[in-house]
Amino acid sequence: MTARKSGSRLETEIERCRSEGQWDKIPELVRQLSAKLISNDDLGELLLGEAKLLQYLKENPIKPGASPRGARPKLVEVRKHLTAALDRGNLKPDHQQEAQLLMAKLCYVEGDYQEAIGQYSQVTLDDMQLVGAPVYRLSMIAEAHATKGLCLEKLPSASSSISSHGPDRDQEIITCYEKSGDIALLYLQEMEKVALSAGMQNRSPKPGPVTQEQELGYFLETGLQRAHVIHFKNGNLTRGVGRFREILRAVETRTTQNLRMTIARQLAEILLRGMCEQSYWSPLEDPPQQSPLNDSLRQGPLARDYSLSRRPRVYSGENLFCPQENTEEALLLLLISESMANRDAVLSRIPEHNNDRLISLQSASVVYDLLTIALGRRGQYEMLSECLERAMKFAFEEFHLWYQFALSLMAAGKSARAVKVLKECIRLKPDDPTIPLLAVKLCIGSLHWLEEGERFAKMVVDMGEKASEFRAKGYLAIGLVYSLRATDASLRGMQEEYQKKALGAFQRWVGSVPAVQLLGVTIPEALGYVRQALQLQGDDVHSLHLLALLLSAQKHYHDALNIVEMALSEYPENFIDSGRGSSLLDRAVADRRQLNTMTLPDFSDPETGSVHATSMAASRVEQALSEAASSLQSSAPKQGPLHPWMTLAQIWLHAAEVYISMSKPAEATACTQEAANLFPMSHNVLFMKGQVAELRGSVDEARRWYEEALAISPTHVKTMQRLGLILHQLQRYSLAEKILRDAVQVNSTAHDVWNSLGEVLQAQGNDDAATECFLTALELEASSPIMPFTIIPRAL
Amino acid sequence: MMLGSERGVVEEWLSEFKTLPETQISSYAGSLHLKKALVPALYRVIQDPNNELLEPVCHQLFELYRSSDERLRRFTLQFLPELVWVYLRATATRDRHSNGCIEALLLGIYNLEIVDKEGNSKLLSFTIPSLSKPSIYHEPSSLGSIALTEGALSHHDLIRVVYSGLHPQRETFTAQNRFEVLAFLMLCYNSAVVYMPCSSYQSVCRMSSRLCVCGFPRQRQKLWREPCGRVVLDPEFMVQMLTAVYHAIYNGEWDLGKEALDDILYRAQLELYSQPLLVANAMKSSLPATAPDGSRGRKILQVEVTPTISRISRSAVTAASIRRHRWKREDADGVSGGEESFTLNDPDEGFSSGASNSSQPSGTKLSGEGGATRSSSLKKGVTGWLSRERDKEPGQTRHRDSSADSQVVLRRHQRRPSPPPAITLDAIELSPVRKHLSYPASQALVRTASASSSRSFDCTDMSLNGGRRGAAGAGLEVGLLGSTQAGLSASVAHHFSTSSLQEERLARPGEAQDLLSPGAPLTKQSRSPSFNMQIISQV
Repeated sequence: MTARKSGSRLETEIERCRSEGQWDKIPELVRQLSAKLISNDDLGELLLGEAKLLQYLKENPIKPGASPRGARPKLVEVRKHLTAALDRGNLKPDHQQEAQLLMAKLCYVEGDYQEAIGQYSQVTLDDMQLVGAPVYRLSMIAEAHATKGLCLEKLPSASSSISSHGPDRDQEIITCYEKSGDIALLYLQEMEKVALSAGMQNRSPKPGPVTQEQELGYFLETGLQRAHVIHFKNGNLTRGVGRFREILRAVETRTTQNLRMTIARQLAEILLRGMCEQSYWSPLEDPPQQSPLNDSLRQGPLARDYSLSRRPRVYSGENLFCPQENTEEALLLLLISESMANRDAVLSRIPEHNNDRLISLQSASVVYDLLTIALGRRGQYEMLSECLERAMKFAFEEFHLWYQFALSLMAAGKSARAVKVLKECIRLKPDDPTIPLLAVKLCIGSLHWLEEGERFAKMVVDMGEKASEFRAKGYLAIGLVYSLRATDASLRGMQEEYQKKALGAFQRWVGSVPAVQLLGVTIPEALGYVRQALQLQGDDVHSLHLLALLLSAQKHYHDALNIVEMALSEYPENFIDSGRGSSLLDRAVADRRQLNTMTLPDFSDPETGSVHATSMAASRVEQALSEAASSLQSSAPKQGPLHPWMTLAQIWLHAAEVYISMSKPAEATACTQEAANLFPMSHNVLFMKGQVAELRGSVDEARRWYEEALAISPTHVKTMQRLGLILHQLQRYSLAEKILRDAVQVNSTAHDVWNSLGEVLQAQGNDDAATECFLTALELEASSPIMPFTIIPRAL
Repeated sequence: MMLGSERGVVEEWLSEFKTLPETQISSYAGSLHLKKALVPALYRVIQDPNNELLEPVCHQLFELYRSSDERLRRFTLQFLPELVWVYLRATATRDRHSNGCIEALLLGIYNLEIVDKEGNSKLLSFTIPSLSKPSIYHEPSSLGSIALTEGALSHHDLIRVVYSGLHPQRETFTAQNRFEVLAFLMLCYNSAVVYMPCSSYQSVCRMSSRLCVCGFPRQRQKLWREPCGRVVLDPEFMVQMLTAVYHAIYNGEWDLGKEALDDILYRAQLELYSQPLLVANAMKSSLPATAPDGSRGRKILQVEVTPTISRISRSAVTAASIRRHRWKREDADGVSGGEESFTLNDPDEGFSSGASNSSQPSGTKLSGEGGATRSSSLKKGVTGWLSRERDKEPGQTRHRDSSADSQVVLRRHQRRPSPPPAITLDAIELSPVRKHLSYPASQALVRTASASSSRSFDCTDMSLNGGRRGAAGAGLEVGLLGSTQAGLSASVAHHFSTSSLQEERLARPGEAQDLLSPGAPLTKQSRSPSFNMQIISQV
């Protein structure tokens, strides 16, 4: 038996039970209360009425959309208590109001909305004091506003006791809900504060009953959510967004976590789907007066038009981040939502939790999809891949998450990881030809994982008809892999085998994509393919480049030059563009050589013609040079990405080459030196130094440079060929022969090497072998382009 | 062919603006949308490369775009998708110089948009929010340590990213600059997309479908016939198309938009472009399964009412349930945070209700300033957990058996403002003397599994005082992970569990064994760093 409690303590206890919803304890407390003070009988009636009503609602929760219940025996009892409490008029004003609110609520529960409105009209809800009110009363006021809104919505406007109609009435309903929501947030914040301080005082491991997620009940939930639902239903986006922001700015409580997660996501959706940069206003600004966001037919006020004596606490402090832009706010909301979704990740895999797992997966998936949309439109793939990596805890056997993760890695340039993740995707969805093709694309790109690439490409080809439109792409992929492997192979037999395989694959892939590969295809055939490709895609840079090379191989230099000019007009900045750095230079060099060759027939005076042509080439190279240099801000060399610097060095080397062909050793030396400043250890630089030395006539020096170049890059064919020639001049024939034979081993299609080899053999008196070499050189030269075909990128 | 009336409308529009005095521009801009027949007639003109009105129309559209009135600029902008389509169609049909005026208009808009009012090159930038910085919507401490992942730490400060800018003036289109210009134009369109009328949304969907499908086998499935070859597309441009289509889907063009989305996806797959694939997959997968009622021509931005109660059952192990344990412990202990020397990266950790953190009295305030957040989560990581007493487990409820508390002599080695009387298993260590002893097998020593993790923390061993040990024998009295069922069921008032497992399960023989044996099916979980903290028995 509990000891009698003193008056004030008893009141505190009652207040606590009311706040915590412990209705079952009320009757006992009321018994004690009435034993103490005669005059509190009315209060007792009020408390009993309240306890019974709320107990009833706890046991029979109201479902949204349910029909009114009508009178119930239990509710009859409630009415008796409340009527008794109100009738005598002895209640203190506060309690009087409480009794009226309870009566109104009872009317609502019984379906008598008119009567409920009548009750509310007797109480001025707005006058009820929020400052210093006990927490249970905050909840009561919040519920009253919500209930009033519900009644107003249920009543046809004509029968309403309230005179307003139409938009005003809508507005009144919304205001009811918004007030209810605000006070509900305040109530929850206060509730949590009380519970925590109680927990602290008791030093109890249980911080109080609110540790458990508290159920809000129908009325508070309605109050918190109905307002923005109406805003959006009415097409008033401005108000809806404003309401979302108000709720989110309120300091969260445990009870509102779920709500906040959903609202944060929904607001992000609105921002991404229904707003844009120009229609955006920051959460701390007033919304624009006119906005296409709102249904023009139902224009209501754009901002809240009521005030409360006390509002829920909002996040505050110095340097709070406030989004200033559409995507910014969407991202912030999604990151918050993501961290909350992560909290709910169901980690156990036992069957009983399948459903929970599904729910947590779905809510997280939506957030990650929205993050992808938001970050994708801003090109932030690096950050996206980090976010999606966090999604992997949900991803067990979930194809979509794996695939998106793989694609984000790919977009972020993390190729090696992307291939690994794609492998898992293939396992999860073996029938989709896109996935292995993506993997091939990565493998034959920067990774240069040719064996892996071959495996992926075979998967696509093996899918047969299932791969439908992708099957051709599969053949292309496998052809490319073989072609690349052929380039890598050191043995001639291997090379030819791969080239044959590649050709076979290419022939099955009927040319629809431009980057035609033609190792081993005869030149006229190839010309046909390329022309076909150009028909399909008129200005593909690689096709044009290839066409130029093919024409040059057929010695149609004039046509080739025209093609190059055309390509240059379409791609004037090609050398800066990533990945194609050298094409322009190759072309510039091509120009020069073509011009050199061309001048002979074209100009009556070969001397001037040649000089004219080369100086034209030189000026073009120098133009490229200055553009590249100015775009690089050459004051800070070796900073930033390597690629532009390599391009610059290459341009210097090409310039040097042009000067060499113009027999200007001083300029050539200067250019080479510039390149050497950038890459002193490059074999190309050393090779060029050798050439300059040769031009100057210092054969020994040239030999030294060539030998250094070969020390760095032992298979540089051009160096080998020059060195062979010098040795030939020095009459060291057997050494020259050895080096040239090595060079032919490395590249069996280099006709000038064959030619040099022939000369060396001839000098050695080996005429038969020399003839063979010359014939080979002649044959090769007939089909040799000015640059090797392999400089054309082979990529998917 | 154009009807005579359409022609008339366009001609009237052409002459009207020319004679318009400066003072009436504003009222003209306000009334332009009232000319209902004008927009369809202009579409007709743009679509027909041989129409002699095309050139004056392009010229006038450019004049409108140059005006200072935003409404006039937007009037021109609504035709952008159609202009882009007509231009790209021409490039693909080698008919490239037939529509020089469209090229000029596109380049004109581009050259106006790349500079600001003062003529400086425009930089479009935005800030990437970071959860480690407080915002108007959150407080970092309330989000657990998610904000402290490696990625987040590497850009701990908010970073501003330029997503478009420093575009050079362009005099002509070349194959090389084509998509740089077009992608930027689409970006401009998207930044004003809500001001566009429905006809423009239809146009953007049409443009997207056609650009992606023309010349490919899928074209045969389409009802429209377009004598047009393949149009080269660029991944970034495709992402911009997706953004516009996404907006159309939710703002009245559900069917057309969905079709365009599918077509972009189709093309992105064929081209093996990862960026548009990524974005299109996300759009498709987050689309409502069926068209909402009356979606045609209406916004379908809907919000649903959510129950505030989590839909996830409370018995499921989630990151949050783990947090709840830790959290309870902290509430109980009133621990202060911040001093711990050990660090623990816990990127998986979800959300902790920091709402209460923030409102806790200062003694328990875990974080909030500077790096405190980090250590708070670390501490939580190291913290042991007392199993939660539930009503389902009568008799074990802690506060009803407070006498047991006194049996447990555990102390944290950090200074704590007020060591609570009922400390149980919280970053526990032996009294300093014991700390350096080697651990005899018979002692109830527990260490965390993550001792091997690179983080150093030295105080995770625990022991109970002798009395308790005697009672249950063999050092198994603490129902820790790895302890036997016997230990669990021993008549010890407390049983401890790790947060990673539901305590209810521990009480069931057999199952617990399964879950607890080290190296057994925890593989999935043990990937997650929060499981670094599992406490396993040495015994």
